[in-house]
Amino acid sequence: MAEAVWEVGGERVAPIRAEAEIVRNAGEGASNWRLVLRVPGWPGFAPGQFAMLAAGSVSAARRSDPLLPRPMAVYRAQAGRGWSDVEILYKRVGRGTALLAEALPGQRVAIVGPLGRAFPRPRAGERVTVVAGGTGIASVRELAARLAGSHPVELLFGARTAGELMAVEDFEALGIPLRIATEDGSAGERGVVTDLLESALDADAPAPGRRVYVCGPTAMMRRCAEIAAERGAPCVAALETTMACGFGVCLGCAAPLRRGGYALVCRDGPAFDAAVIDWERLP
Amino acid sequence: MKRARGVDTAVDLGGISLRNPVLTASGTFGYGTEFAPFLDLRRLGGFVAKSLTLEPRIGNPPPRIAEAPSGMLNAISLENVGVEVFIGEKLPAIPEGVTVIASVFETDVDGYAEVCKRLTGVPRVAGLEINASCPHVKSGGIEFGQDPAVLARLVRATRQATTLPLLVKLSPNVTHIGEMARVCEGEGASGISLINAVQALEVDPETRRPVLANGLGGLSGPAIRPIALRMVWQAAQAVSIPICGVGGIESAADAIKFLLCGATAVQVGTSNYLRPSIAGEVADGIAEWAERHGVARIRDLVGALEFPAR
Repeated sequence: MAEAVWEVGGERVAPIRAEAEIVRNAGEGASNWRLVLRVPGWPGFAPGQFAMLAAGSVSAARRSDPLLPRPMAVYRAQAGRGWSDVEILYKRVGRGTALLAEALPGQRVAIVGPLGRAFPRPRAGERVTVVAGGTGIASVRELAARLAGSHPVELLFGARTAGELMAVEDFEALGIPLRIATEDGSAGERGVVTDLLESALDADAPAPGRRVYVCGPTAMMRRCAEIAAERGAPCVAALETTMACGFGVCLGCAAPLRRGGYALVCRDGPAFDAAVIDWERLP
Repeated sequence: MKRARGVDTAVDLGGISLRNPVLTASGTFGYGTEFAPFLDLRRLGGFVAKSLTLEPRIGNPPPRIAEAPSGMLNAISLENVGVEVFIGEKLPAIPEGVTVIASVFETDVDGYAEVCKRLTGVPRVAGLEINASCPHVKSGGIEFGQDPAVLARLVRATRQATTLPLLVKLSPNVTHIGEMARVCEGEGASGISLINAVQALEVDPETRRPVLANGLGGLSGPAIRPIALRMVWQAAQAVSIPICGVGGIESAADAIKFLLCGATAVQVGTSNYLRPSIAGEVADGIAEWAERHGVARIRDLVGALEFPAR
């Protein structure tokens, strides 16, 4: 399906484990947070890859609760001399992210990454529609940014309210056309982002020649996969799930496949051809 | 990496010579190569590969894991590539000089014995670990390691099926671990590994359902370490075959605790997920600890716990 691998952070960069220093960690409205980590030896990454962040490691005394690191999409990275500032957008939802949100600049967080299979590149000439729901936006910025110069790219972004939208200004800065849907109509169009996808594909039929990339809640990705499939457009979905390791050994992140059996989100994904996923059986 | 050169770290685990007492636990270390970016496997005493069945197995539906206080539950159901793919593809990819112990699992005794036979004589396989903590289909799903008579049949059959050193990994879900250890010793096991995950349940009150799709799962991680230490100590009182201690090891100090309780070697498990370089750090740390404490031979620590007289 892929045209080629990414030039930077190609199909598989060997991941590293590092103690990263927090450069910035601040709320951006609602429960949205933006974290910048200075990671020594960061090898680069490809769009869609993620890192494991150990929320429990953020203090002088090592702690084992919460035990599991949290998989987080790599939003952006800026290289320095022997280190990179790696940016992560996250939502404060549970104990792990609550701890992370309390972490202060200068403290350290253990990071393992980059991990996972990247988004496949679109073919030459394909028009690209990127669909993001909520924190799903974090998985697609790098994709949109790297494609903006070579492909027509548009971004459809959905959230419940205007306050829950994040990073809109980053996309505006990239000059990427952006359509927003909020469920309460407080920003953009009232409705859900899947309606935007439907109208975008229908307004510009035939859909072949267009590729859809999506990241967000499971129900939203599933609906996007249906909308794209009905119109013959290939769709790539970046799945999100609980993981213990992130590199293919705990086998905890199984995603059911339509042909039977399972793929591992960490090793075989997180980016998958949406047509291979058995969305019925995906929790 | 600082090396404690004065310390003799070698141990003999039931006929398996280890350069140091630190292994990694089956199911937490894949087939070894997954850890190559983080850890030189030659720093370890060796590793126990993911449990193998005769045929490849696909695992349980998700959710397969859940977090617990200082631990995690899993119900993977022993997804694996099968014994033939392990021999043909996975083993050759493991760097030379790494001691490999293969873990064996099946749903009946004959199946276990057959997997043992296939692995016997395969270069690079230094020993076998029988995973006796899985449901026995023909005994109504009870774990092999929960019934002394069933466990005895399993150990006897696998002992007859192989000439390799044979470890038996015991279930903690029993009343008298010492009795199970004696069964293994009596049937000719070379050593025992304990503990496997503790049977557990996590619940979502909103849905009124278990968090795991399988319902029950196995609890692992630091939460079970004191239970594991207790069981290793009790087993060590009961048998004279060597013991491999497993359960929530996060540091060299944790590993030393297991040695003191009577373990000849240890396995690092769940911590490999969170900190993929941890097993190497534990191996190096044990030697440094011994040097700091004037211990010339690691094996002198085995069973040196000074338990209060009763």
